[in-house]
Amino acid sequence: MLHWNIKKIVAVLVLLFVLIAVFNFTGFSKNIKNFFFLISSPIQKAFWQAGKSISGFASGILEIKTLKKETEDLRLENQELLNQIAVLTELKRENETLRGALELGLEKELELMLVRVINKDISQDSILVNKGRKEGVLEGSAVITAQKVLLGKVRTVYEGFSEVVLISNKESSFGARIPERDADGVIKGKGSFNLSLDLIPREKEISEGDVVITSALGDVYPPGLLVGQIKTIKKSDVDPFQSAEVKAAFDINNLDYLFIVTAH
Amino acid sequence: MIKKIIFFIITFYILILLQTSFLVHFNVLGVVPNFVLIAVIFINLFSSSKQEKVLSALIGGFYLDVFSLDNRGGFFGFYTLVMLGLFLFLKVILEKYVRLPVIKKI
Repeated sequence: MLHWNIKKIVAVLVLLFVLIAVFNFTGFSKNIKNFFFLISSPIQKAFWQAGKSISGFASGILEIKTLKKETEDLRLENQELLNQIAVLTELKRENETLRGALELGLEKELELMLVRVINKDISQDSILVNKGRKEGVLEGSAVITAQKVLLGKVRTVYEGFSEVVLISNKESSFGARIPERDADGVIKGKGSFNLSLDLIPREKEISEGDVVITSALGDVYPPGLLVGQIKTIKKSDVDPFQSAEVKAAFDINNLDYLFIVTAH
Repeated sequence: MIKKIIFFIITFYILILLQTSFLVHFNVLGVVPNFVLIAVIFINLFSSSKQEKVLSALIGGFYLDVFSLDNRGGFFGFYTLVMLGLFLFLKVILEKYVRLPVIKKI
């Protein structure tokens, strides 16, 4: 009886390994995923809206409605202002440094594609959006909010959907700068929407609340996009670099419509 | 058998959609309960049918692979293998080390 069971288990395992190998090596797994995303999209949309309204209602019980709206408006306004300050500071510094030495070309505007979030994988800091290869989405494209807040980049493109890996994902790493302090560093994802800014030279004085934006270093993201604000600073006398925890500017619970940067 | 397969396909489909589209709005510190994993463990602990246990592990793992936006382990099928491993692990543990209380007929 036991022998028969083992034979059966081995047969199932072998079959499973063969199927997995076929799915992965032929790329058929992408077709399977796309098929399921396609048939699930309307149901997911309904669940998404229901979850959003119920969670909003639940939080509304705990807060006064008007206060909540006011806070939300102020938060968005603050985010826009922070972004404007960051961009203006960066432009000012760039102007001062390069004026007279270089003839700058016109700043290229970002070309954007509007997408809708249909699925989140919070444990892995990823989201799924409703446009893919047939709409011209390319792997590696940056994804931002309407307030020019950086969210992440497209990792995998399916026929009609795209997977976006958030900047807080543990595999994420890109160049960033604090324009107010003229300090460069590297933003690394820590998972669960946490970020850290590493490799900041020790001699640079930074403080909590400083705005962090993307830099052109590494050409991962367009420069000047808002990343977040410095939360806590870690400085050691023996370490040539200091690091800081960064509070991401995006709010995972308020993501609905986003933009994919198709050209910059 | 066919009925069981259809039942699991539909049930796990609803669970995974709830998990990825509805429950994400109610996350606590970025954590959302994995209903599919809970269901597979529950079935493996309390079902007396071996077919049900294997089917739940395979179908649950497959759905986790499809709807997981970051193929853990770098390949499609990772969760299916993990769920199958979980089935075998629970099978060995339950058969060798655990005696669940049963109501005896008098």
